[in-house]
Amino acid sequence: MGLCGWKGKILRVDLTRGKIGEEDLSDDLMLNYIGGRIAGNKILLDEMDPMVDPLGPDNKLIFATGPLTGTGVPAGGRFIAVSKSPLTGGIANPCCGGYFGANLKYAGYDFLIIEGKSPEPAYLSIVNDQVTIKPAEHLWGKWATETENAIRAELSDSKDAWGRNTPSVLLIGPAGENLVSFASIMSDGGRALGRSGLGAVMGSKNLKAIGVKGTGEVRIADVKGFQKAIIDFIGEARETGQLENRSKWGTWDLIGRAQKTGTLCSLNFKEGDFDGFKPYEDPATIRDKIRVRDEACFGCPFRCGKRSTIFDPAYPGTAKGPEHETLGLFGSNCGVADLDEIWKANYLCNELGMDTITGGATISCAMELYELGYLTGKTIGYPLNFGNGTAILELLKKTAFRKDFGDQLADGGYAVAERAGHPELFMGVKKQGFPAWHPQGRFPGLEVIGLQYATSPVGASHTKSVMTFHSQSDDLTPLVAWTKHYQDYVSIVDAGVLCWIIYHGPMWEDKASSWLELVTGVSYSQDKLMMIGEKNWNMERLFNLAAGLSSEDDGLPQRMLTEAPPRGGRVVDLPPLLEEYHRIRGWDNKGVPKPEKLEELGLSEWKVKVQ
Amino acid sequence: MEGKGAMKINIDHTKCSGCKLCEVACSLNHTGAVNVQRSRIRVFIGEEFCLPVIARNYKAVCDSKGDMVMYNGHEVDECVVCRASCPVKSVFKELDGKTPLKCDFCRGDPQCVRWCPTGALTLVGGR
Repeated sequence: MGLCGWKGKILRVDLTRGKIGEEDLSDDLMLNYIGGRIAGNKILLDEMDPMVDPLGPDNKLIFATGPLTGTGVPAGGRFIAVSKSPLTGGIANPCCGGYFGANLKYAGYDFLIIEGKSPEPAYLSIVNDQVTIKPAEHLWGKWATETENAIRAELSDSKDAWGRNTPSVLLIGPAGENLVSFASIMSDGGRALGRSGLGAVMGSKNLKAIGVKGTGEVRIADVKGFQKAIIDFIGEARETGQLENRSKWGTWDLIGRAQKTGTLCSLNFKEGDFDGFKPYEDPATIRDKIRVRDEACFGCPFRCGKRSTIFDPAYPGTAKGPEHETLGLFGSNCGVADLDEIWKANYLCNELGMDTITGGATISCAMELYELGYLTGKTIGYPLNFGNGTAILELLKKTAFRKDFGDQLADGGYAVAERAGHPELFMGVKKQGFPAWHPQGRFPGLEVIGLQYATSPVGASHTKSVMTFHSQSDDLTPLVAWTKHYQDYVSIVDAGVLCWIIYHGPMWEDKASSWLELVTGVSYSQDKLMMIGEKNWNMERLFNLAAGLSSEDDGLPQRMLTEAPPRGGRVVDLPPLLEEYHRIRGWDNKGVPKPEKLEELGLSEWKVKVQ
Repeated sequence: MEGKGAMKINIDHTKCSGCKLCEVACSLNHTGAVNVQRSRIRVFIGEEFCLPVIARNYKAVCDSKGDMVMYNGHEVDECVVCRASCPVKSVFKELDGKTPLKCDFCRGDPQCVRWCPTGALTLVGGR
């Protein structure tokens, strides 16, 4: 009897040759790299030259589940995509919920590796071991919902409504087809592999969508213990109020917290709070206005997904979101307080297939460039003042189709700012926009958010470590150690694949190892897991170094380092934070892992490659 | 027979979030592994609502005309609300595509009800 949890199979699809093959997973990959982000990284590092053109046929796109995916582990229904990002030029590993991960496992695969480039628009149909590349000429140009419904119908062999309901679909919208640098891959009615621009990677491969369904099983090592642990976990979540809180508000209760601490992105990060968002400090205001129902991912008791509508005939149907990040980036950061306008931007990004975070960061950057006179209304086509919600919506549509000024926006905010002569006005790291959390909060310790953005291998991201909210002291040394610890720990969460939102932070930190043991039967000590997590973090660093990135790319925009927000906040003193960070990581002062660190982690073969 | 006092699972679909933990619980209890295709409860994921449906008796002939029917204010395919296992339907059947599946209340302690985190499923009578 093999290992439980994993299916033990890789599905490899070469689009250039139309070749489809199955491979066995090695025990080494399962036991020492677990799955998801870590095993995906390992495959990418082993198989691909980090110097490849991210939009060329040599880039690989790996969809990776973990041993916990599809088992019903609470908040364990997620999967990861691993590839080289066209936006940052470094490694990419966005995470997504919904049902796709579970369905890929039921079809029989832990990993799906996409290689090459299809000569014609195509989509991939996976029904258990019946895998076919099908023409997608008729779907090219279509928006997300229409594409998803079409694939669902085509994958259904029976005529009943259940048949159309069962498959999961991954797809790109027009933005991915037109290689927008922050295009997302959408899934199951509004879930997204949002960051790093992997929608453009799918577009570059002429791959419109992937539909999957399966009838296979996932085995559990300790069935009785597993059943009890799940019922206990849900009970605990209910008793502590976590279940109700997260289910009711999703991420909407974070607006108030961000406002109070000065960590809400506002007006392209010039400020750390936004008067227009005062009403939303009470999350009930948002919920009452737009929410249709609460949606869960596969196997998740928390249902933080919010399906919403604004009851506008011009925008029929519903959308998933907007959550905290989208409210921040298209709301306060663009100076827009009107919930309807933010919702429409969210709707368009979902349907056209774009990341709402870098999307919002790109437009807010253009707004500041316009207000300072570095971009003219003639170039943009609109008077792009902060607060001009109508222009945002028009520009989003133009971006997805690379029309007029949208062609510039499609290259991302950094490119826009650089072309206008002021790259320092793009608020991001490695060309990826800051998330909604402002690194210049009003309390000591919050500037560590800046360190987390700067050192994230995928560019600015809020999901690669754990935010700090409490600090009484100006001594930030413990928070640098906190950052490193949670960077390694979140790697494990992303390998499971567990949900970062639920398992982030000290609460339930010990759960990762207990879920892994119940499901797989393999006992992982906390120390062993943290070592695997640290190894992962170093692997991602090595990929980036080999891809041509360096410590110069670990910087923050000048504004973060020199100007505090006018209404209060702290300047981020980054160099000493980075120095301490490099020290505890065992990296040299250029951010290169030292040979003894590589040795310790079993990565010695990389010594030569990064010199 | 579902007479007075008999065990019954009440479904409040307005509370269902589509997490499918009931499908996991059911299949785990009946098959010893997670295999939602073999679950006797399935959750239909609609845009405006999710609907858990529990398998009842097998019907050799499907008498549905495939109409849309109103269900608690939502328009839905008749086949979705129908609880029968039948030759047409792609759910409530074993992997052979023939052997019908039917809810047996897990011998008095339905696991789907135990696992349901939202209160969409509740047990009436029996215990």
